[in-house]
Amino acid sequence: MSVFVIIYYTLLLGASCLAAYFNKRSAFLLLFSLTLVSFVLGIVGGVGALRAVAIAAGLLALAAMVSYAFREFLIAIASHNMAKELRTAPLTAAFGMFVIFTYAIAGIFAPWIAPFGEAQVISSAFAPADENMLLGADQLGRDMFSRIIYGARNTVALALAGTVLAFTLGAMAGLLAATTGGYFDQFLGRMSDVIMSIPSLIFALLMLSIFGGELANDTTSFWLLTGFAVLVGLLFVTAVAEGNVMSWIIGLAIMVGVAVAFAGGMLVIFNPSEIILVLVVAVIYSPRVFRLTRAVAGNVVVMDYIEAAKLRGERRWYLIRREILPNSAAPLVAEFGLEFCFVFLLIAGLSFLGLGIQPPTADWGSMVRENATLISFGELTPLIPAAAIALLTVAVNFVVDWMLYRSSGLKV
Amino acid sequence: MTKKKDVLLKIRDLKIEGYSDETWVPIIKGVDLTLHRGEVMGLIGESGAGKSTIGAACMGYARDGTRISNGSIEFDGMELTTATEADRRMLRGSRIAYVAQSAAASFNPAHKIIDQHTEAPLQYRLKKRLEAQEDAMELYEKLRLPNPQEIGFRYPHQVSGGQLQRAMTAMAMSCRPDLIIFDEPTTALDVTTQIEVLAAIRDIVDEFNTAAIYITHDLAVVAQMADTIKVLLKGEEVEEAPTKEMLDNPQEEYTKSLWAVRSFESPQKQRPKDGVPLISVRHVDAAYTKGEKILDDVSFDIYEGMTVAVVGESGSGKSTTARVITGLLPPMKGEVLFKGTPFPPDYRNRTKDQLRQCQMIYQMADTALNPKLKISELIGRPAQFYGGLKGVALKNRVDALLDMIELEPSQYYNRYPTELSGGQKQRIGIARALAAEPSFIVCDEVTSALDQLVAEGILRLLDRLQRDLNLAYMFITHDLATVRSIADEVVVMQHGKVVEQGPKDDMFTPPHHPYTDLLLSSVPEMDPNWLTTLLEERGIDNVGDAAAARLDPKDPKLTGANA
Repeated sequence: MSVFVIIYYTLLLGASCLAAYFNKRSAFLLLFSLTLVSFVLGIVGGVGALRAVAIAAGLLALAAMVSYAFREFLIAIASHNMAKELRTAPLTAAFGMFVIFTYAIAGIFAPWIAPFGEAQVISSAFAPADENMLLGADQLGRDMFSRIIYGARNTVALALAGTVLAFTLGAMAGLLAATTGGYFDQFLGRMSDVIMSIPSLIFALLMLSIFGGELANDTTSFWLLTGFAVLVGLLFVTAVAEGNVMSWIIGLAIMVGVAVAFAGGMLVIFNPSEIILVLVVAVIYSPRVFRLTRAVAGNVVVMDYIEAAKLRGERRWYLIRREILPNSAAPLVAEFGLEFCFVFLLIAGLSFLGLGIQPPTADWGSMVRENATLISFGELTPLIPAAAIALLTVAVNFVVDWMLYRSSGLKV
Repeated sequence: MTKKKDVLLKIRDLKIEGYSDETWVPIIKGVDLTLHRGEVMGLIGESGAGKSTIGAACMGYARDGTRISNGSIEFDGMELTTATEADRRMLRGSRIAYVAQSAAASFNPAHKIIDQHTEAPLQYRLKKRLEAQEDAMELYEKLRLPNPQEIGFRYPHQVSGGQLQRAMTAMAMSCRPDLIIFDEPTTALDVTTQIEVLAAIRDIVDEFNTAAIYITHDLAVVAQMADTIKVLLKGEEVEEAPTKEMLDNPQEEYTKSLWAVRSFESPQKQRPKDGVPLISVRHVDAAYTKGEKILDDVSFDIYEGMTVAVVGESGSGKSTTARVITGLLPPMKGEVLFKGTPFPPDYRNRTKDQLRQCQMIYQMADTALNPKLKISELIGRPAQFYGGLKGVALKNRVDALLDMIELEPSQYYNRYPTELSGGQKQRIGIARALAAEPSFIVCDEVTSALDQLVAEGILRLLDRLQRDLNLAYMFITHDLATVRSIADEVVVMQHGKVVEQGPKDDMFTPPHHPYTDLLLSSVPEMDPNWLTTLLEERGIDNVGDAAAARLDPKDPKLTGANA
């Protein structure tokens, strides 16, 4: 019997007795069943197993404390209304926000945080961790830690851009379909059915093999981007102009200008193959957003206040902007979080297959693939980028859960 | 308290708190209640008085976000506040039953009525399924539901609202409970339907000698049902007395004010001798797409500064008429004239000025106000839209409008509709209509979702605004008390036809059209014997749907034979 084991059982039993004495039913049940399990574990697994349990509990407690402190921190710095909302956040949501916050910092300040460049070869292949390299080296001898940091920037930025584009297209189309109805609604609905009927991964592979390779150059991606922007812009102009020829002409002129500027801007940030990836993702995911938006907006459109606004003679753009959108925002925000996870996983998956982000750009999906051979030597290195993906997905879902809970209008 | 029997339910110093804005706020502030076996107690008070909360507490139940903080609830010798959840659950359904306000929303639409009825007896193993079904049919017969053998095998949506409410009462009876809690069971029903539900409830409660707590805000209804009446205000008891005594001789100021509500009456105005009607509906037929004809040759006139009340039970085409006038539903035939010139039938073809002239106030202020907009924008938008007001001028206009509806501008300017009470919301709805500076407002059941005191305030406000601004109202309602207090002219509708129209005073003096007569005689009166008398006069089977069906549509108008 080591000292550790004695302390371990003393703590558990003492805590269980205290919980029982103070009538904390659920805490007592948890602690005491853990004690009982520990008896068995101690006999079967020895001190090592108990130590693992203690470490796991410690990690959980650490995460809980960090989340709690982070939530209090946010409440302290937020405005009054925001603080009120934040106080309703459960610890899981606070944990999610903390993780997202950390990733954001890592992504934004990657060049300053990472000790080496993302493509910089600094040692031999698969070198183990030393005081120079926190997580060792990958298959070409590049610093794993630096690549993870850069990966936060590349993968997350791409996923974010893809989701935002998918949302602009899908939400705008959904709102228009809900307010206009009739053939327009039918047409958009069937279009989305067609896109959704193709399995998304296969569709992505198809599109990427068409536009990848030869076609992945500045000119093609510029025109593709402009085309996409014009499509979204057309929806906007339809919503705003409403049958007036002059406003159509003005709207179209502005729209073309904005589309070209947008395409130029995107080309500065991303390279051509990444842009094609983003567009493919946006096209694949927009029908889902369209469906959700149309359903949510469809429920809002039948409300009396919409009728009142219509009777007032309000134009469609005002209806969408001031009456419908604010009332369907909550589920859309939650959906945004969910879709972001799916897009993120899709991009990671495509990179794993070698079709997503092209080397030497650091990306978590391709890092898993490149280091996959190490798994057979019992090394955990390839699991680190995988864990980074998993952690972000879990974190986003925690936050989304909280938002869904709030938007469903449940109290206490 | 004529029947002195053993005490069934004893509540002492009950305090309930609700969670809002991160603190526990008291909702019920120490209420005592004693209910004997077979006694019916009426709980009345305006909304927010805590009637339903007490009703739920009688089952030992605190709704989500509330908690019972103090006091004792003793049901037949068993203390409910300290009982375990499992023990309390054993009572519910078997010994205490609950009848909710909206039966349509409370039945599960996916199961047949009788399956839901027999659920409780089967759950408590009181009866076998077939026995329970036979018992259900017996109860249906007692409650005078049509086809008692068959009606239970329908789904809830295949049954009318009044019948569903009775089926729910039958369901509450399925285990022969000691206590039934009725939470506003007839509030959502028409007057003609209300009678049959009231009669049915009263009979069955008498027959099984069940104790009941009857929650309502309608005094006339509670007068028919209750042995004793308890008046509540903001979570505190105002007074309690036997029905007769309470009606004849109320003690407290608040109770007296409740009784006085029905006294408001605006003087009847006469049509101007010459002049064009402001709105003139001419021979309008209307139907929703490919459906049956909802309106059949409807014509009436509304003159400037006058109130025309359109009455009739639900489904009679009142709201459809309003939709035709506002242009939401272009008519199949006929036209709507505004000051002698035809209005385009579709609102989309109307000019901004035509739209401005004709505004609408809705029944449900909850759904009629965008919950995400501030009051300032809700009211300010029409002023901005039609009048082109901006900046300070807009703010001044909104302040003036808020003053007009008797709300303090500085306090409400930046609030959201969800932070307001029902009556305040309805006032905002009125302000929004006024902001357009219309000459004609359609009021669609504006007071039917409100308590009497609040509704009274709204009616007075509308009346004052009419005098100040020379507005014309089309007042859609099924509540004849409202008609009596505010209307100048009345249009009675049934099955999409106008059956009678004329000045108010003529309408309320016999002889009537038989349908008008049915409507008029169905309005509950404060006399506790009213229901009994009425049932004796008409016969037990001649109320509600049955009576309406019995009216011969070819009956020559104003025969007076039925009166």
